[in-house]
Amino acid sequence: MISPVKIWRNQKKISSLRGSEGVIVSWTMIRVPPSGFSSQAPYPVALIQLNETRIVCQLVDWDPECLRVGQKVVLVIRRVIESPDDGVIPYGVKAKPV
Amino acid sequence: MKTQVIGASTTKFGELWDVSPRTLAKEAVSSALKDAGIDMEHIQAVFVGNMLSGMLGGQEHLGAFFADEFGLRVPALKIEGACASGGLAVHTGVLAIESGQYDTVVVLGVEKMTDHSPEDVARALMGAGSEEERFSGATFPGLYAILARSHMDKYGTTEEQMASVAVKNHYHASLNPNAQFRSLLTVSQILKSSKIADPLKLLDCSPITDGASAVILSSDKKKMSKRSIGVLASSVATDSLGLSKRKSLTELLATQSASERAYQQAGVDAMDIDVAEVHDCFTIAEILAMEDLGFYKKGLAASAVVEGETTLGTQKRIAINPSGGLKGCGHPVGATGVKQIVEIVEQLRGAAGKRQVANANIGLAHNVGGSGATAVVHILGKL
Repeated sequence: MISPVKIWRNQKKISSLRGSEGVIVSWTMIRVPPSGFSSQAPYPVALIQLNETRIVCQLVDWDPECLRVGQKVVLVIRRVIESPDDGVIPYGVKAKPV
Repeated sequence: MKTQVIGASTTKFGELWDVSPRTLAKEAVSSALKDAGIDMEHIQAVFVGNMLSGMLGGQEHLGAFFADEFGLRVPALKIEGACASGGLAVHTGVLAIESGQYDTVVVLGVEKMTDHSPEDVARALMGAGSEEERFSGATFPGLYAILARSHMDKYGTTEEQMASVAVKNHYHASLNPNAQFRSLLTVSQILKSSKIADPLKLLDCSPITDGASAVILSSDKKKMSKRSIGVLASSVATDSLGLSKRKSLTELLATQSASERAYQQAGVDAMDIDVAEVHDCFTIAEILAMEDLGFYKKGLAASAVVEGETTLGTQKRIAINPSGGLKGCGHPVGATGVKQIVEIVEQLRGAAGKRQVANANIGLAHNVGGSGATAVVHILGKL
């Protein structure tokens, strides 16, 4: 799932998404996470409408009142999943309510 | 179509720690052969539906693996399409018969899931989603929860209505000796169960299950009997892998297109279907399926479930998931699509015992992969 080459390849996409603004279309609270995410659970995951596209991503720096359809968010760079054994830190985007 | 199901069988579904996948597969296939009244030597090809053997068990190459187990040296292949692997394997088997290359084949669906931790199974199942979804930490309950919230917002669907799907399917499963759950549930038990991915709770979710199912398909008239059931349609459709590229979050367009084509192939419409096995991986998924297959108009399925319109004994026009569905009977992902065919065959034969749907002549099986990226629809009919 995680390899340094894959992370390197994804850098362009991740940096192009940084700072994008959007609104929550639908969301859930993940209480039983997949392996690699246990230290973060529970956490909200939302489907977000950006300018012309949509993205599924995790919310970060959220308050319970931010968990609603129509909430404005901005995409920020964050560590997304626990590091695999080779020590690479996988970064990606998460959505921060504004 | 010239293809008929001449034999069908399923193992018990459940947490089968004392049984290996090869034992499950052998049991399903040998009883399907017995049901068809033929021997292994009549099988000309083997189609295996499975999703997770590589990621969880480290075993790929399942075509040769199972052919070898059966003592066969015939063409054999694995078909993978997430939770639709079983339905896709049946579709592939039907195409193989219709092509004329083979007269008689076996389709096996098999999955062994309970040997592994829930976190590892959740992660492996996310192989069916998009990379974006995997990096978000979403799970399959989470993706269906996103669909559920949209359906609730648009149509006023409630958590109580969703719970009624599980109540019905557990009731049906209580009548099915092969089901994982034989116990009845109440709406309040479901609403009080622990949250998995809001608004979905533990008892809205289908379980992690071991099991195997097999059907024998044939176009050889000498092998057919009064118990043979005709394949009237076999149809597959796809949509975007992840939720972010879907045109709608309140319907599965793949289900709609696969079923429209299936109704055309069979020359029937949704109102002609007497019994259906639909893909209720989560309670909301059965509501989506009832609407997208054309049994109910959008927004009207949930209240019909509450009214018992699809429950055995009180059904109005159609009985849905008499086996207990994925929720009650269990969901060994690669086996599910084949088990649905086995159930429809038993219903159309009038051999479903306590869960028999009266006057069942035409049945439909609906199998979904991922959050709706693949949908497979089969229509079967009495001859």
